[in-house]
Amino acid sequence: MVQDHKQSSIDIDRRRLLQGAGGVSIAAVAGCLGGDDGDDDAPIHVQLEVNSDNDDRVQMVDLIATSLEESGYFTTEIDTYEFNDYTQRVMDPEYAENGYVPCIGLSGTFNPESFCQALHHSDNIGQCCNLNGISDADLDQMLDDARYGVDVADDDEERRERYDEIWEYLAEERYSSITHFDLQAGVMNTNVHGFRQNPFTESTFEYGLYAPQDEVVTWIDEDAHPDETDLSDLEEGGTLRGGLTEDPELFDPPYTTGANSTIVQVLIFEQLVVSDSEGNLYPWLAEDYELVETQDVDRADYEEYMIEVDADEEGVLDTDEQIVVTHPEDNPIEDDTVRVLTPEQAGDAVDDGTFGMQFQYELHEGIEFTNGEELTAEHVVATAERYENSDLEAQTYDSLLYAEEVDEYTVNLYAQIPDAEAERELPGLYIHSLEQAELEGGELDPGADNDPIGTGPYELSDYSEGQYIEYTKNDGYWLEEIGLESKEWFDGPEDFPNGPVIDELEFEIVPDDSSRAGALQSDEIDITYGLATGVLDDFEEDDDYVIDSVEAGGYEYIQYPMNVEPWDDERLRRAVNHLVPRQEIVDNVLNGWARPAWTDLPELAEENGTTDADALEENIRPHNEYDPEAAAELIEEVIDDYDLD
Amino acid sequence: MSLRRFILKRLLSIVPILFGVSVITFGLVHLTPGDPISQMTAMNPHMTAADEAQMRSRYGLDGPVWEQYLTWMGNVLTGDFGEVISSGQDVSSVILARLPETIVLGLFGWVFGLVIAIPTGIYAAVNKDQFADTVSRFVALSGISIPNFWLGLMLILIGALWLEIWTVLPPSRLPLYHPQMLFYLILPGITIGTAAAASIMRVMRTSMAEELNKEYVTAARAKGLPERQVILKHVLRNSLISVVTLAATLTASIVAGSVVVEVVFNWPGLGREFIEAINQREINLIMAITLFTGVFIVLANLLADILYAVLDPRIRYE
Repeated sequence: MVQDHKQSSIDIDRRRLLQGAGGVSIAAVAGCLGGDDGDDDAPIHVQLEVNSDNDDRVQMVDLIATSLEESGYFTTEIDTYEFNDYTQRVMDPEYAENGYVPCIGLSGTFNPESFCQALHHSDNIGQCCNLNGISDADLDQMLDDARYGVDVADDDEERRERYDEIWEYLAEERYSSITHFDLQAGVMNTNVHGFRQNPFTESTFEYGLYAPQDEVVTWIDEDAHPDETDLSDLEEGGTLRGGLTEDPELFDPPYTTGANSTIVQVLIFEQLVVSDSEGNLYPWLAEDYELVETQDVDRADYEEYMIEVDADEEGVLDTDEQIVVTHPEDNPIEDDTVRVLTPEQAGDAVDDGTFGMQFQYELHEGIEFTNGEELTAEHVVATAERYENSDLEAQTYDSLLYAEEVDEYTVNLYAQIPDAEAERELPGLYIHSLEQAELEGGELDPGADNDPIGTGPYELSDYSEGQYIEYTKNDGYWLEEIGLESKEWFDGPEDFPNGPVIDELEFEIVPDDSSRAGALQSDEIDITYGLATGVLDDFEEDDDYVIDSVEAGGYEYIQYPMNVEPWDDERLRRAVNHLVPRQEIVDNVLNGWARPAWTDLPELAEENGTTDADALEENIRPHNEYDPEAAAELIEEVIDDYDLD
Repeated sequence: MSLRRFILKRLLSIVPILFGVSVITFGLVHLTPGDPISQMTAMNPHMTAADEAQMRSRYGLDGPVWEQYLTWMGNVLTGDFGEVISSGQDVSSVILARLPETIVLGLFGWVFGLVIAIPTGIYAAVNKDQFADTVSRFVALSGISIPNFWLGLMLILIGALWLEIWTVLPPSRLPLYHPQMLFYLILPGITIGTAAAASIMRVMRTSMAEELNKEYVTAARAKGLPERQVILKHVLRNSLISVVTLAATLTASIVAGSVVVEVVFNWPGLGREFIEAINQREINLIMAITLFTGVFIVLANLLADILYAVLDPRIRYE
């Protein structure tokens, strides 16, 4: 059933010929409806689309298509495209008019918004990832209200309730069907003890090697099986040999966007806070932090501080300054000039008391960078400045308004508006040394003779591009100096180590999956990740290897063309959703290495995304069960109303 | 036309060829959707279209294609191949770092091909239509037909995982010119050299079989020369002409033939870099590697033509 584009077109013609002259069809922009008065012919044609380079995704779409055809109500066709071709195609604002059903995957975070807003908010039409132009003013408002505003910024429970309403609303409207949530799996030999996989690839080693917030610490012991050891058997020293999936682009945090770069940076650079595996935050470089004030401020309230800048046809602004806030009424692509807030004016606004939220961080005294500098508030401010106009500016200035030094060890971070995610987003900066805070973008890299300097537990000791990366333990690691007892939140065992215990890390860069798996089998590496599900099964059956897996933020979804008849009818969307064989997809395509999306909310975002995860599942799951009978009932109604038969 | 003039003419023809290659490659890369910026931003819900345009303008990737091409061409003519967008590295330095890895591997494969092919070809021709010939022809056909990524994976499976003689990953900390690396070149070298060996062997066999039917061979045999001398001294020399020219043409594969093999063997050469460059849509790197490969192929063909003329004085380039 999976075809390339050319074959698909031929297929349409053949089908039309077979339908004969007596067929009745509804005119739809996509030309995707057809049928005739014969009993065997399906009245609704569905064109599914998917990128060809993701085998699992293609197979998944194939299963959905098969399920739709088996219902007897649908004929299907699958068009596949190369990934870049595909993303450009589906993110074109005009795409929604075609009436196609695209399938794509996204990575979510602890923020429940990442499982609903990107897919459904009208702000995301023509970009990632509202592909079918879903424009529902009520839903937009609900999504905004669940993240922004004083009510939710100050009250987590209120926020959870609002998300519960969103999940229910989406279950009724069913603009998209999330099929499953991915698992992240770390595969290791039995020398590796205590390792725990993080939901996010970029934190794999940072978290897996040492995460006191979850009492995780990894050690090497060649003489015992990990099943037989616990923390009391912990051994210090040794070398961990890992297999990385890609070469890092750079060691420069604000100038890299991929997980393959972050995964090697975060052993060197640290943030003001850390997160446990459920998304709870704990002060890290900060000894403590607090939300000082929340104000009912809107982005338009910065109007008096804004300056006007020219914008060209493509929306490129004629300024070298970082744009912190763009006036909500202005659009850089449509308008010739736009009103914007730059960091300097953001500082003025803060001085005048105009800001959404104020968080205050008290830094630990005595934290040293590997070049001997002591961490102060100045470092945090300088780091924020280095994120200006960087490759991460969009993420950083999604929430951040301004960073302000209060005294040597106190720093304020301000959010633009009351924002329930500000607590997590604002301290997302990887703190730089002053020596490197002034470097040009991309210069913080061994390739530019600037070995990264951080406060983290490891130092880069050797790097050969495309081949390997080596680290040695940072001898003066600050937590070793001040001890875990300085962390009030830590309630683990007294003898829990004050930092990672492995001395050396040697990472080989091996992009090819089978080579990485082979290297693990031939004992050339101890641990790797990102292996295909088929290979995971082999390792799982073998006692010489251990797999640690956790539900991750990655998910897949198909989205219905609600702007094209008859998809504007929610009954059809709900019916198709009932024909999405979620369990079968997980069992047969992903060999069980995923979890069916019975609700739109994965475990990792439950903390902020629902008041009661069990009740949510009980409530929503019936909407998402594979249920051909329920689907048939709904489709019959649609067929009658649209006179499709 | 003298050989010297022929060489000069061919060298000059490189210029329009490379120009054509550069225009086509530049055009093709721009026709394919995506660029390094879309790679960075594609699945990021924070990125608006204006943000993306802003980034593109910051990296100089805006403006019409012809304008970008002219800028690129102007820089190349002054020896500047530009930067890798995602890492900021100089394209020339990336190529210089990776090239030795590829050349050493390619050369090893090429030599392996010759060493296997010539004796086998001779043996097959001398024993034409006998069992050994049939076997060698079957092996040669298999050698040409087997995809090299599959052969590579099989060699890793057998050599590294079953027999545990080699490692799956080449020793990344050993310098390329360390004598021990010769050992680790064997598996990828065989993988690269197999197809070349098979085609050279077939040419060797055919041309030698042809020569063996000629009258001077009968004359030499009638003169009472030992068969060994007839084959090695007279027939081999004459039948080597086409083999040498083929082998010269195949030197192009020293640079161009290792793309897939480098990925399978995790060999940090130009081929693996090329694949990554295509995935990331790193236009400057793609252009530079393509041009470089183009130069190498043109030179390899020129070498073949020259050798042909030198080996057979009857050939004149008109």
